[in-house]
Amino acid sequence: MNNNMDLFGVDCAGLRSIVAEGLKGGRWCDLYFEQTVYNDLLLRDGTVASGGFHLDYGCGVRVLDGEKTGYAYSESTDMPALLDAARAAAAIAGKGGSFGSSAPLCPPEINRVEYAWDSTSKKELAAWLERLEAAIRAREPRTVKVIALLSWSQSDILMYNSLDSLTSDSRPLGNVTVTVIFRDGTRTEQRNVSRSYRCGREMLSGELLEALADEAVAGLDDSFAARRPKGGRMPVVMAAGASGILLHEAMGHAFEADFNRKGQSIFSDKMGQRICKRGINIVDDATIPGNRGSLRIDDEGVLGQKTYMVEDGVLTSYLHDRISAEWYGVAPTGNGRRESFRYNPIPRMRATYMESGTDGTLQDLIGSVRKGIFVDKFANGEVKIGEGDFTFYVNRGYLIENGRLTMPVKDINIIGNGPQALADIEAVAGDLKIDDGTWTCGKEQSAAVSCGIPSVLIKNLTVGGE
Amino acid sequence: MITQNERSIALACLDFAREAGAQKARITLNKNTEDLIATLDGEVDKVTRCADRSLSIALFVDGRFGTFSVNKMEAEALRDFIFKAADTVRMLAPDACRTLPDPARCCTSAVTGTEMDIYDPSRESVTPSQRREAALAAAVAGRLAGKDLDASLACGHEGMRLISEEGEYSDSVFDTLVVDSQGLECIHSETSFDYGVEVTVEDAEGNKYSDYWWTSSPRLAGFDASDCGFEAIRRACAQAGSEPAPSGKYNMVVSRDMASRLVSPLLNALNGYSIQQGNSFLVGSEGRQLFSAGLSIVDEPWRKGEAGSKLFDGEGVATREAPIIEDGIVRRYFINTYMAGKLGIAPTVEDAIRPRVCPWPSPGLDAAALMRQCGEGILVTDFNGGNCNMTTGDFSYGISGQIFKDGRIVRPVSEMLITGNFLGLWQHLLAAGDDYRLCATKLVGSLAFSGVDFSG
Repeated sequence: MNNNMDLFGVDCAGLRSIVAEGLKGGRWCDLYFEQTVYNDLLLRDGTVASGGFHLDYGCGVRVLDGEKTGYAYSESTDMPALLDAARAAAAIAGKGGSFGSSAPLCPPEINRVEYAWDSTSKKELAAWLERLEAAIRAREPRTVKVIALLSWSQSDILMYNSLDSLTSDSRPLGNVTVTVIFRDGTRTEQRNVSRSYRCGREMLSGELLEALADEAVAGLDDSFAARRPKGGRMPVVMAAGASGILLHEAMGHAFEADFNRKGQSIFSDKMGQRICKRGINIVDDATIPGNRGSLRIDDEGVLGQKTYMVEDGVLTSYLHDRISAEWYGVAPTGNGRRESFRYNPIPRMRATYMESGTDGTLQDLIGSVRKGIFVDKFANGEVKIGEGDFTFYVNRGYLIENGRLTMPVKDINIIGNGPQALADIEAVAGDLKIDDGTWTCGKEQSAAVSCGIPSVLIKNLTVGGE
Repeated sequence: MITQNERSIALACLDFAREAGAQKARITLNKNTEDLIATLDGEVDKVTRCADRSLSIALFVDGRFGTFSVNKMEAEALRDFIFKAADTVRMLAPDACRTLPDPARCCTSAVTGTEMDIYDPSRESVTPSQRREAALAAAVAGRLAGKDLDASLACGHEGMRLISEEGEYSDSVFDTLVVDSQGLECIHSETSFDYGVEVTVEDAEGNKYSDYWWTSSPRLAGFDASDCGFEAIRRACAQAGSEPAPSGKYNMVVSRDMASRLVSPLLNALNGYSIQQGNSFLVGSEGRQLFSAGLSIVDEPWRKGEAGSKLFDGEGVATREAPIIEDGIVRRYFINTYMAGKLGIAPTVEDAIRPRVCPWPSPGLDAAALMRQCGEGILVTDFNGGNCNMTTGDFSYGISGQIFKDGRIVRPVSEMLITGNFLGLWQHLLAAGDDYRLCATKLVGSLAFSGVDFSG
């Protein structure tokens, strides 16, 4: 396999000399070379008349002295520039360190590319977007505007560290995001649908086109009829799939080990304790083939892996980078991630989901609620780590009255407290679904993630309303 | 500052674009240098050095248009890049509305980059040790660790302790050069000295509360971070013992540090792309009174020495002081050259540069005055998530803050939501303060509204 050394114009001796310079300021030094080429095509007003590509290239140098970090980067990979960056990172100025050794890594190939993106002309890719618009308009005459963005990127990575470990990676990512404006009389509705996969151009299948078009128009009459509910505390049934945002905001961030190492997380003193009912398993997984959150290897040169955070209702692991793993005396979990070579890695989620439960079906959950709300489409979320208060924004849902879905609702925020919400999960259906939308986490840096969940019933959350 | 060599690279890119067959082109060179010292609990935790340069290249080829960017600056590589870019543009559909702005609208006064007086040359002489000293001097954990916080910091609560303090001092310089094939050339340079701190405190029962505070100045001489840590602690402690209030309609006062959250959706809804695509709740609003007569927002991009001031926008179009919303009447959309062609209307600048919400009904109002005016209600001091449907203006946000009665704070509230529609919210504006944070680029003082739906 090409280890990308030619791409970055470096050799083993050079890498070793840069790390040696960094080790003058700390006990660990690593290098992260990256070239990312990002392409986009935008369909608007019926034509693909906008597009381009963007090249980002450079190398980050990190020096660690215990938990303390020195970081610098260079947009040139010439030796003098890289040595300057190493000296700047070494300004953290600890006692200095020396090289160690490690066994070679053999990461599995999980993000396969059947057809390289550049094997297809941009005209053909543009034609796919035009067919997508036609499919949406054919389904729904109330369509006013379709804005569709196709983007794809290829990141080529080379990592080297003071364990003399040299690793490389090639990371594809394809995204389609579609915004559709509908009008019915004087009322206007907007829908956003998306898909993202770590694969090649093969993602642009006829099936994907039909699925996006179906999803864009599904339940549109209900959206036009939707109203704000009466707000307050009530049971919430969350549909399988995108409702995994609950796990990302309410639990996932609070399980990231940097927040716990610093004593900031509401879960920082709960390791080994029961935090939700028996039978619940919550996972952060880098190994799902083609998933947006999947990584063969993280941005610190640690193998991608599947990490159980909650097993049978008990908190069993935080999400670690190398710093927090050393602090806690455990192995890193492969969660050290960064937005680009410009950033030092920190613990980040990958694909976060809850495994299927045994409490029946979605219909069983809805049927058990006398008065509450059902939600299935979301926009964004946020969490306050210390307090554990989380929110997520609901694009679509329905009231539940006497076990049946009744009035459609939309554009409401839901708020709760992480530990309380976990404890309040009353039922978990057996229908786990991973959502393949373009989820992006914004903790200090931007990171591609995904989420999933089976249908769940939560006893009590606060729902925004009138 | 932009060097002569960097300027030559940008101008060479225009030549490469012409050589590659582009009839028009715009090159934007952005350059950013930042040094950062982060502290954790009063000790240096992270030292970071950043230096970025990138070229954004807009090509107009045979009636078609594309945008590209690259951070490799070698001439031969750039030439190849631009030729490949031009080939890509030729594969796109033609778009007659794509063109450069009329030169008569473009900025001619941004010659040195320092015209706005927000570039401080003394930044170049700040030493690494001075940065460490600045970061450590701003950190307060060393003075407070291991003991209960005093009453003034703990907002009267007993047994409050500081659990964690993460501070970040940084100084940076950001330069922009815009050149185009019609002869445009304008430069902007600004420096920034910043400190932000996030704290977590714990009460006697082990409940945690966190908050954040920050300050920023374009000049080192005006930079003072000495109270940031204490202010963050006061804000966190003020939330101790918080719980939701009953759902219902309340008067709402939004503190000055959070109020821009309610202004940004209005400005976004006036953006030409949203107007043209129909996904704005302010489509067809120009010239109409849609808000309280008390709402006036003016764009003031020419305030020398104040953060955010700028002489030109992303296209190189000259900015100017202008009303955005005046006495509740929408006065302008933000229409760039492309959207002007699409919509068939006159172009403006592409975005609000440095908007200010004017005080109403009188100057001199702050959050305390607004609470006295309202009598009772909820003071919002933080938002937690939420969003706005830009097509309808419907919004729902998580909030925390303080219940107030008779104009005085009674107790903290959290885990609550506000829900409504922006048109309705701004029709119920009671007052707008002018207690602006001058370090912000949107000048929005505290705001008061009546009849807001809170869920708890």
